Amino acid sequence: MDKDLIAALAKSAGLDKALADFPDDVAAAVAQALATTGAIHVPESPAAEPWPPMRAGIGL
Amino acid sequence: MTALHWLSATDAAQAIARRDISPVELTRALLARIEQLDPTLHAFIRLDADAALDAARAAETEIANGRMRGKLHGVPIGIKDIIDVAGLPTTCHSKILLDNVAMADAVVVARLREAGAIVLGKLSTHEFATGGPSFDLPFPPARNPWNPDHHPGGSSSGAGVGVAAGLFPLALGTDTGGSVRNPASCCGIVGLKPTYGLVSRRGVFPLSYTLDHVGPMTRTVADNALLLDVIAGHDSADPASAPSTARDFGREISRGVKGMRIGFIRHFHATDLPAHPDVAAALEEVARVLETEGATVRTVTLPSLVEFAAVNRVILTSEAYSIHASWLRERPGDYGQLSRRRLLPGAFIPAAAYVGAQRRRTQMIAAVEDALRECDVLLCASSMDPTSRIEDAAETARTYPRQARSPFNVTGHPALAMMSGLSRDGLPLSVQFVGRYFHDASVYRVAAAYERATEADKRRPPIG
Repeated sequence: MDKDLIAALAKSAGLDKALADFPDDVAAAVAQALATTGAIHVPESPAAEPWPPMRAGIGL
Repeated sequence: MTALHWLSATDAAQAIARRDISPVELTRALLARIEQLDPTLHAFIRLDADAALDAARAAETEIANGRMRGKLHGVPIGIKDIIDVAGLPTTCHSKILLDNVAMADAVVVARLREAGAIVLGKLSTHEFATGGPSFDLPFPPARNPWNPDHHPGGSSSGAGVGVAAGLFPLALGTDTGGSVRNPASCCGIVGLKPTYGLVSRRGVFPLSYTLDHVGPMTRTVADNALLLDVIAGHDSADPASAPSTARDFGREISRGVKGMRIGFIRHFHATDLPAHPDVAAALEEVARVLETEGATVRTVTLPSLVEFAAVNRVILTSEAYSIHASWLRERPGDYGQLSRRRLLPGAFIPAAAYVGAQRRRTQMIAAVEDALRECDVLLCASSMDPTSRIEDAAETARTYPRQARSPFNVTGHPALAMMSGLSRDGLPLSVQFVGRYFHDASVYRVAAAYERATEADKRRPPIG
């Protein structure tokens, strides 16, 4: 991936220090994020809701 | 007579109650074994020997006076160092939290103390329960008692090592993508990820809120059920905690599997992530043993393991980043490289991808529920390979994600890993059993039948 794009993404996340000290780790993180999200078949139906469902009054 | 360090928790508790052995005698025996072996195995981050002996003496006095606290009175246990023990640091094996002294016990630790258990100390982990075996952290990584040149699995590494090596009969680990079941698999012991919500997470440093579980690690199935009996139960201050459920998780372990329907998820290890031949052969042998014991085994199909892993990774990384963001911005050099690389991707996962993963998760839960309508328990691989050499970073990186544990963090079903034999190189192989929600007892039923048939609990690492 383009180094300038990686730098822009990292700086927008406030990771300036990580980018300066560990540029390879930041680049690997961007690549991993892209690869992982691309492996999921997100449901096409808008009716498919996320887990966990909202349940008012349950929990605390 | 069984050496004290190889006594099961069940046998130790009974012997203590009969006053055949004293808690002090047992604790001293384990401390001596820890002194002998831990300089090589590194199971402990912090051994609290004086407090353990004080607690053992108190237990001895109480029992002599006829006061039994509970099921584990006088039985020692080790605690993974992301779980709070009052007065001790919860370091999470990290430089970031070296001085993080816990002000109170985690709920699970409080329940252990109420039951009379004796806390020996805090156990090594992967940093913040993620990453992997690392040599750039304040404490060394734990090593496998079957062969100290090999990785013991993680992230509940010290728990797996200590139980397998006879340093203690019981341990608490945590499991977000398989971290109880991986060391159980690598070290040849029994590890359960309970049903999500069955065990309180309060006082446990979070990795991923919707995937985190606390689980028991033991040498026998009966001990595992005993420990779950003690730690399970509703906690009104844990938002994920389920309403109170039935206890006595060991109630079915003597029933055998005659008439049970077992669903074998073969595609996980046959095609999704093709397993080492020793692992595949051992899984087929597990199925054969259960059939011989009277179960019926049929093949079932779930979504691909690769996609399960991706859903787990997107959710875990996103939630973990929300916890670690400020430290990663300000102190990135205080993390080890492996955990830094595991946590940073969370900065680059869009919110829509996180929600998309949670939407796919709902469908994956439905798929497992469908399978469990036709079957009582599912059988599948845990690890796809025997454990790697701990200093071979490339082989560890290759084999570590080759596992079938994270699907059941995604779905929340109870899942147990245990030994299925030994590889040609003498390293533990493993199998995983998965049950319906809150039917953890059925998982134990199958595991116990397999344990009885194969005497899996009688195998010991070659360390004396």
